[in-house]
Amino acid sequence: MRRIVWLLALLPVLAAFVVAGCGGGGGETSGGTGGGETGASGEPIKIGASLPLTGDFSEPGVAAQQGYQIWADQVNKAGGLLGRPVTVTVKDDQSDQNVVVTDYNALIQQEKVDLLLGTFSSLLNLPASAVAERNRMLYVEPAGGSPEMFSRGFKYLFFAQQATAEHQADLFSQWAAGLPADQKPKTAAYVIADDPFGGPVAEGIQSQLEAAGVQTVYSKTYPPETTNFDAIANAVASKQPDVIAQGSAGLADGVGFDRALIKVGYSPKQLFQASTPSFADQFSNAVGLDNTEGIFYAVSYHVDAPTPGNTDFLAAYRAKFNTDPPEDAADAYAAAQVLQAAVTAVGSIDDQEALADWLRANSVDTILGTLSWDDTGAPEQAFLLAQWQSGDEEIVLPEDAATSDTIVNPKPPWKK
Amino acid sequence: MATGGGPSLPPVPPTAVTQLIQTIILGLLIGGVYALLASGLTLIFGVMDVINVAQGALLILAAFFAWTLWNEAGIDPLIGVVITTPAMFLLGFAMYKLTVQWLSGAPASMSVLLTFALALVIEGSMGLAWSTTYHAATPGYVDESYRLGQFYFPKAQVYGCGVAVGVLVLLYVMLNHTWLGRSIRALSENVQSARLVGVNVRRVAALTFAIGVATTGAGGSIISVLYPFLPGSHYQWISRLLGIIVLGGMGSLPGAVVGALGLGVAETMTATYISPRWATAVPYIVIMVVLLARPQGIMGAKLREDVVV
Repeated sequence: MRRIVWLLALLPVLAAFVVAGCGGGGGETSGGTGGGETGASGEPIKIGASLPLTGDFSEPGVAAQQGYQIWADQVNKAGGLLGRPVTVTVKDDQSDQNVVVTDYNALIQQEKVDLLLGTFSSLLNLPASAVAERNRMLYVEPAGGSPEMFSRGFKYLFFAQQATAEHQADLFSQWAAGLPADQKPKTAAYVIADDPFGGPVAEGIQSQLEAAGVQTVYSKTYPPETTNFDAIANAVASKQPDVIAQGSAGLADGVGFDRALIKVGYSPKQLFQASTPSFADQFSNAVGLDNTEGIFYAVSYHVDAPTPGNTDFLAAYRAKFNTDPPEDAADAYAAAQVLQAAVTAVGSIDDQEALADWLRANSVDTILGTLSWDDTGAPEQAFLLAQWQSGDEEIVLPEDAATSDTIVNPKPPWKK
Repeated sequence: MATGGGPSLPPVPPTAVTQLIQTIILGLLIGGVYALLASGLTLIFGVMDVINVAQGALLILAAFFAWTLWNEAGIDPLIGVVITTPAMFLLGFAMYKLTVQWLSGAPASMSVLLTFALALVIEGSMGLAWSTTYHAATPGYVDESYRLGQFYFPKAQVYGCGVAVGVLVLLYVMLNHTWLGRSIRALSENVQSARLVGVNVRRVAALTFAIGVATTGAGGSIISVLYPFLPGSHYQWISRLLGIIVLGGMGSLPGAVVGALGLGVAETMTATYISPRWATAVPYIVIMVVLLARPQGIMGAKLREDVVV
């Protein structure tokens, strides 16, 4: 009996530990700067978002927080939004679908924020956008290009990138299908994450290349939390495909697959990966700079892009974080620009429906270029096709946005 | 346009047979590592009827230790085993003295509750200390392979498997050829008789628990090289480890080795021939099938809750 009493006495102590542990991860951070720097005065406009600052999507989540921060700093320096300072409150959803719902409900009901900004990855934006829709709040998301997002008839949802997931790799598919007969790929393998964004990217390539007569020799789905890619890479290599397209969910699964391909010693003629190669240094450090040569990905943003406002964003980001902005930070900044454009044009934050109507009827200049939306909130532009060349990320298509005039083809073998 | 690209290796498409052999090689290499990871769990259960659900969390904790040694001091994780193993031994001893020893005599299900709570505490603490992002130690050999004819052997897996086998052999020698080992085995067979022949039951139980936890030192160090991990990774590992010891027979060390090799091959075969999507379900399917068809496992002596001591 004494032992049971002991155990019972221990339980609250343990519980306290667990709460403390989770609290560290789930804490709230106030990401914005208050007003009062210059010009902006009066009651601040409260903007709320929840981002995956920890967990599987922490890389893009932290980058997005930086993008929101830069935007808020700039707006406050330039006199605020509608003359009022802005504050951005960022909660941490821990990459968890349940937590993100709790967070957005809390932002709307308890903290009574005036405006919302979206979170990262389709996985989290799917439930989060439903909370916003139910509360009739405008929801501009910096990521979340899954076709599922836009099949629900939402009226307050807008995606602040160029295109939805199934069209992310359009330029790659068109380029590969249009190669001269002696270079055109004959076979392709698709390695698809069970993820609402990464999956459709690879499926989009598969349907377009199949239509162009490229034979599918491998197409299988893996759980995004997979860490052991040796069996998958071995199975893919045994088919010797010309093209390998991976619909990866994030950084870890794409790097894991590349490493497994290096270990098996198979290098395809063309390698396309969703998301993973866009993680800049984190990607090149993980797979080795020499091994990045020739890897394709689609991207929404490039630091050298001649888009309106990009030089200001770049200067501010470099000054604050001492490095070049990752794509995800730029996407978040662009989402905030879209929100800002709607609020400025409508001249009020009281009628969220008017903000949404305005976005449906107009286009907005962002650092990603000019964006416009169809009735479902899906964007109507095209992603840039990027490729790692000599250790740098280059835009190769479309030609008018290209930063390099060559395309490395075929991909050279792995360096070791 | 660059030249000289395209498929570099293998020079000829592998046949169905060579692919099957390669798949089994990959499965056995990873199975060897699984064997070490499961050995501590099965040892602790065999001797004291404690199902240590925290074993997965301790494994990830050791992986974080190994990663820190590699990141801060440049110590190769597979050499860092000589530091992480004693560290985990001490932690295991402290865990036993502070919590687990109060379980003695309580049903095995109580141990699941206690150790699950410990797992949550460890997971939360790791989140605070290292943040909940992916970590991976990447010494130079992580993406290199040895080649033998048409087959390849990833170096990290070969080294990891080598360290695992080394530690398992040490464990086996210790259990069979030392006085402590004999006491541990006596304790696992019959506590009362062991006490009668002069075994200090409390001391041996504490040491057994500590040794069981110490195996996660080597195991976690190997994991840090093989796979990216984050604090939440322990759920996947503990379910895999439970699958292994249920398959091999709970409490049996040779059973854990057989179960581990079997599960490693089963996962790799599933990922290759059925779908990677099903590979993560393999441990759960194994647990269900074994409990239905042969509840004592392949080499198990005990029937879970039916044990009457």
